[in-house]
Amino acid sequence: MPYPVFKDNREFINALKANNDLVTIEQEVDWDLEMGAIVRRVCERKSASPYFKKIRDYPGFEALGAPLATYKRLAIAMGMKPDAFVPEISNEYVKRTTGDPIKSILLDKKKAPCKENIWTGKDADLFKLPGPMVHDGDGGRYLATWHFVVSKDLETQAVNWGMYRQMVFDEKTMVGPVLPFSDMGKMFYGKYVPKNKPMPFATVIGCDPLAGVAACAPSPIPEDEFTGMLMGAPVELVKCETCDLEVPAHAEIIIEGEVIPNLLIEEAPFGEYTGYRTSPREPRTVYRIKAITFRNNPILTVSNMGVPTDEGQLLRSFSLGLEMRKLLESQGIPITGVFMLPESTHHMVVVGVKPIYSNIASQIANLVFGSKLSPWFHMVIVVDEETDIYNKDDVIHALATKCHPIRGIRKYEQSVGTPLYPFADPEDRKWSRGAQILFDCTFPLHWPKSDLPIKVSFNNVYPKEIQEKVLQNWKNYGFKD
Amino acid sequence: MAKKEYDTFVLTDLALVAEDKETEMIVRDLMPADRRYKYRSAYVFGMVSKDESKYPDRLWVRLGRGQLQEKPWSIKVIKEVNKIPEG
Ligand SMILES: Cc1cc2nc3c(=O)[nH]c(=O)nc-3n(C[C@H](O)[C@H](O)[C@H](O)COP(=O)(O)O)c2cc1C
Repeated sequence: MPYPVFKDNREFINALKANNDLVTIEQEVDWDLEMGAIVRRVCERKSASPYFKKIRDYPGFEALGAPLATYKRLAIAMGMKPDAFVPEISNEYVKRTTGDPIKSILLDKKKAPCKENIWTGKDADLFKLPGPMVHDGDGGRYLATWHFVVSKDLETQAVNWGMYRQMVFDEKTMVGPVLPFSDMGKMFYGKYVPKNKPMPFATVIGCDPLAGVAACAPSPIPEDEFTGMLMGAPVELVKCETCDLEVPAHAEIIIEGEVIPNLLIEEAPFGEYTGYRTSPREPRTVYRIKAITFRNNPILTVSNMGVPTDEGQLLRSFSLGLEMRKLLESQGIPITGVFMLPESTHHMVVVGVKPIYSNIASQIANLVFGSKLSPWFHMVIVVDEETDIYNKDDVIHALATKCHPIRGIRKYEQSVGTPLYPFADPEDRKWSRGAQILFDCTFPLHWPKSDLPIKVSFNNVYPKEIQEKVLQNWKNYGFKD
Repeated sequence: MAKKEYDTFVLTDLALVAEDKETEMIVRDLMPADRRYKYRSAYVFGMVSKDESKYPDRLWVRLGRGQLQEKPWSIKVIKEVNKIPEG
């Protein structure tokens, strides 16, 4: 194995503990708001992951909060140094996910921990799982906040893993938004619904950390193989009890059932990744359950969407930005890097470029706004090599000084959007309509060289020998930093 | 018998909610006998009143983004309706 791999969430919990990034909470915690409030505060303070050992009303169940809400935890999940820098983690992600996909392998049910307990019939009751009330005012208890849903295409048999939130409605029913442009949306609404066929699904809760990363990444590679690539080893799957889907054998909890065609039930409101409760309570996709299988003492994973930074914002920013990087590189655009800011709730991406021809920023924006990735973000900032794309101060400086308020801004109307955009009109949210904008922070190529503003920074306006002298003497001058 | 408590999300103007008329709505049970079932949703036929004391049970009202209204209403749940086909 080229790097340490966590085959399940339990090994990952041990690694978090070993890296002082876990707080084990032995005291009983209430699933009704208290657990959510703890996870929320953890996200806002970038604290260690809370590991809940005792959940009120649910003896025997445990939960892990905010499993991947920081780059440190992402680095640990990738088997890298916990203090790896974002560009290092990004390069590693791109490297691992541009090789050959790694096919999963099928385990015998007897060897699959997720089959240690099997509930079917009346026993398969969603209220027997400690689904938290995540935020006060949510439309229901969200059992699935850090998880993924497995489904199979009716015609091609292609398998999709995607993270689509699920709210408990009653003992047997969950509801959630499956956006029409998502892979599962196209599968279910495009193929099963017209034939009035229920679509088998399996919700996987408490998977290994990299499967979670893969499930919310917008990659065209089947997510189980993508997980294998991130891990450097095949994922071990096992057959479901009630359908022919396969799920990760080492996951904590599996909920099996069918997505019901031509029936919608009200879902939401829910505290969302934008940091608001925005998308309307409205009729959404219905999941009817048939079986629940789980490990002994199962550990639920709980994310808490809200103001930055939660794992949705961090990982979606990470993978959306890097899939954009792959797209732009595949087209030969001379970019120097792509970084999506998690604090922008993955709405704002910074693209570094060598501006060797005119209007290169427009070409970048046209490509990324025209791609499958585009409904999820609406601001592209293009900067030249002078700006460090990972440094927020530097990016703000470039935006405020190099972007012409008229020439530098290009608006894109009538785009695909999501119902979650807080700035969108209620009618636009309902129809997933959006708008997008480019901020071109490169100076025009036709300006005479003598008219080009020169960046006044330590690195830029002093000769090398002076810089070195100052750096060498810094402590001698009396500075402590 | 102690009052039961429910809540519901009202997505229209509160003034448009019909009182004292059998209406189909979704309510959430806030006081189930087994606490694990708190927030279970159900389609019910019921009658509501903005007068807190008119019907036997209490009904809290939330708006579309979860905003809890200060004053509860009252409700009489007539029956639960199953809208979801058996799997
Ligand atoms: C925590 C979390 C919750 C999400 N919930 C939803 C959801 O309810 N509906 C949806 O369509 N997408 C949701 N997404 C976004 C999808 O996971 C994302 O688009 C993912 O790439 C699925 O990919 P695919 O549809 O392209 O396969 C969520 C993402 C995260 C991180």
